[in-house]
Amino acid sequence: MAEHVILFTGPMGAGKTTAISNLSEIEVVRTEANNSERHIVDKETTTVALDYGEILIDGDEKVRLYGIPGQQRFSFMWSILKKRARGMILLVNSDAPDPIAEMTFFLDEFRELYDRGGVVIGITRSDVIAGPTLAQFSEALERTNPGLVIPVFTVDPRNRDQMENVLLALIANIEMREIFGMLTATESA
Amino acid sequence: MTIDGNYVAPEPAPQPGSYPVSIGWTQAAIAISSVMVLKTPMNLKMNIEMHGPLLIDFERHAFSWSTPLEHFPVDAVHTGLETIPGGAGAPPLFEPPGHDLDGLLWQIGLNAFDGAPAFWLSSGERYRLTRWPNLTQHSHNLRQVRMIAVLGNAYVSTQELAGYSGVEVAEAQRLINALSLMRILSRSVEAPAAAVAPETATATRQSLFGRLRKRLGRADG
Repeated sequence: MAEHVILFTGPMGAGKTTAISNLSEIEVVRTEANNSERHIVDKETTTVALDYGEILIDGDEKVRLYGIPGQQRFSFMWSILKKRARGMILLVNSDAPDPIAEMTFFLDEFRELYDRGGVVIGITRSDVIAGPTLAQFSEALERTNPGLVIPVFTVDPRNRDQMENVLLALIANIEMREIFGMLTATESA
Repeated sequence: MTIDGNYVAPEPAPQPGSYPVSIGWTQAAIAISSVMVLKTPMNLKMNIEMHGPLLIDFERHAFSWSTPLEHFPVDAVHTGLETIPGGAGAPPLFEPPGHDLDGLLWQIGLNAFDGAPAFWLSSGERYRLTRWPNLTQHSHNLRQVRMIAVLGNAYVSTQELAGYSGVEVAEAQRLINALSLMRILSRSVEAPAAAVAPETATATRQSLFGRLRKRLGRADG
């Protein structure tokens, strides 16, 4: 069966689980545990291993959606999950203490997914707090990763239509990068 | 002046800060493009029949309009346009924050010039994105997503963009006009034609994008 693995990354509380739940056609497999860091993000539970959902395209092809745990102490899972991924949707919550630093951190950490596929960045909770503007996120990207034209959208992970647009933009971008010979790395061993 | 035997009255010369009546968005796009390159801070007020005044504050990159962009009037009748000095000390054009100007520029750019090149573009140019538009906030179709993905990864002419994306040249031109009005396109007359990876040039199977689009029931691409 052909499969395409898309990774959802970003800090705790960015909306990864919600986004996958919204897109998945199957009941999402979750590994949630009580959140011991409520002083950082005030929610009861958080992902500790992975979230998993999927979209069946036809009988022999599916898009697998994996969500990483956002906390760095579970980063051993990051290495496991990024091995098979073809692209990444990086969600960053606008109300994080330093959302631009979070974006930069996760992009660095998962840079190989850009090199061998593509990345879309979704800024969540921008309706809750007036964080950095999209132009500021783009400027920070240009400073830290000159020449990368990575899509940056505001997005509500609860909005299925928006999440579909983000996923389709990612796939379109990956395919164009492939067509124009922009992919420089292969899947990790 | 005579055209085919019918008398056509000459249009009055535009006065500074005011323009003759116009239908559609070409004149608005020209005015916006001109004001955006001024060194002196300047804002715009456009009066649009049945849709009230449209106020643009370029410094705040914001606009105010009683008509939501979901109901953008493609064939708007403009009944007046004036420039209003901005800058420090000038009273705000409207109560902040207003709406993000990019959404308005997207709509105006797509609907101006009737599929012909915007007047500030030159023949022989190739284009490439400097940043993606915020697609979750702009009404768009999936053909536009595909075109934007092309522009994000290669310098292409309008004709090449249409060819890679499988759309009419006029549709590609409308997108180029919009992205250019939003000032998120880089232009070059020297950039060579993009090279296509040989293994993809011969691919015959429909793209994953196309298959996923169908699976999601999205008929807009």
